[in-house]
Amino acid sequence: MYLTKEEEGTYDGEKGWANQICMRILAKLGDLFNASKLIPISSAHVSGVSYKTLGDAPIEFLQALADEGAKAKVKTTLNPQSLDPEYLTKKLDRNLCQKQLHILKQFERMNITQSLTCTPYYLKKPTPDSHVAWAESSAVVYANSVLGAWTNREGGPSALAASVIGKTPNYGIHRAENRQPQVLVNVNKRLLNETEFGALGIYLGKILADKVPAIQNLEDASKKDLKQLGAALASTGMVNMFHGKELKLEKGLQKIEVEAGDIKKTIEDLSTTSSEPDLIFIGCPHCSLSEIKQIARLMEGKKVRSGKEFWVCTSQYVKDRAKEYVKEIERSGGHVLAGVCTIVSWTEKLGIRTIMTNSAKTAYYAPTLNKAETILAPLKECITCATKG
Amino acid sequence: MTDIILKGRTIVEGQCKAEALVSKKTISFLGGVDPADGRITEKSQDLCGKCIKDKIFCFPHGHGSTVGSYVLYALAKKNLAPKAIINRTADPVVVVGAIIANIPMIDQIDIEEIKTGDLVEVDAAKGEVKILKRGAH
Repeated sequence: MYLTKEEEGTYDGEKGWANQICMRILAKLGDLFNASKLIPISSAHVSGVSYKTLGDAPIEFLQALADEGAKAKVKTTLNPQSLDPEYLTKKLDRNLCQKQLHILKQFERMNITQSLTCTPYYLKKPTPDSHVAWAESSAVVYANSVLGAWTNREGGPSALAASVIGKTPNYGIHRAENRQPQVLVNVNKRLLNETEFGALGIYLGKILADKVPAIQNLEDASKKDLKQLGAALASTGMVNMFHGKELKLEKGLQKIEVEAGDIKKTIEDLSTTSSEPDLIFIGCPHCSLSEIKQIARLMEGKKVRSGKEFWVCTSQYVKDRAKEYVKEIERSGGHVLAGVCTIVSWTEKLGIRTIMTNSAKTAYYAPTLNKAETILAPLKECITCATKG
Repeated sequence: MTDIILKGRTIVEGQCKAEALVSKKTISFLGGVDPADGRITEKSQDLCGKCIKDKIFCFPHGHGSTVGSYVLYALAKKNLAPKAIINRTADPVVVVGAIIANIPMIDQIDIEEIKTGDLVEVDAAKGEVKILKRGAH
């Protein structure tokens, strides 16, 4: 891969160890994937934040980077952590909370915004056609497919390196030829809710591998439905984008037909139990303002049943703008948790054994990450199960 | 014996000589290697229970979370890291880990030629792996 004189200087250590190690990461990844050069990015989104999934191993590296003066060169946001500052902090062991805070501190020292969300695009949308370096697979698919930005599926360390250098190697989906649809998907069923869109993603991810699909009849799908589709697609597959708008397709494209039975069976397979849930969880990926509004409307005049937890996860940014709806949800006995992700939080330590959710991604991961049984159902059913009145 | 020389691609420069530890299976450093003692803990791994410290660690490629890169750094800080990493096809998680932990690394090597216990010399800048002595196996 070609490096400019300045980049080469950074590679050789002219700007110190932190910049050198970040440049080496980008240059080696670029070589590995046949990039020709580094290109500027307008933002970065860093994953690998939750102490539960990280453990102690990364702390030293993050601290060393911060000590050596690494700073984000472009606007950089951060994925969710393992707890929220209010509700879960009070319930969990102090040592865990302190370790988590220590990790956040290192990112803060590098001037990384404490957005703590998997939906950074609700804080600031990237400009269409701009190159970005985002980790968090659900945001990657959303950025490429719905927002029209260009990003590979970065890992925690490579997104961090891109943030510090302000550039990324131009391989993969940063090249127009790799964004062309390779498979035509025809869904022979009208998808009725966000959970069915998620199920389509889970189903397709398994059979597409890394082939970019053009999915027909998505014109009427809402953004929240597409968010669920993308999050699920990235959970089971390596594909980083889909096409949902009518576009001119090459002839002879491989075709995949998805039947109503495929969606039904996917949802059934992602529900591992029919027993009562301990936790009803909405907000994977994090809720938008309009989703929180919808939840508040559905909760009006209802009470969360005793013995059940009802969580809505979002960013602090969105929570601050949803005060009226948050009040309604909390009056009903639910909790709006900011900056946390249920699948990377310590649910098993809280005695949660069964999780009901409208998110196919959560239903896919919770059995392994949370050691929980799952029930996958659309929002309205989740709220009916959670409440009375 | 005449030394067997295998040629591959440089990922991270460096030279060393040590005993080989060879796996037929891919490995996840997150959850698959204990950062406290360098032992492989992944149940599906054919080397489960073995320690990677100071070995020339040969495996096809990595899998799993990108947090795995940080595990390699943590191992190196505790002197528990392998002396070198030899892969068939390098993947981003292991590549980034080898860079930040400064572990010599080569890929595009036919690792089946190397056996656990062999004495191996690595010159990563040249992309060379030399088998000096076959181990007892």
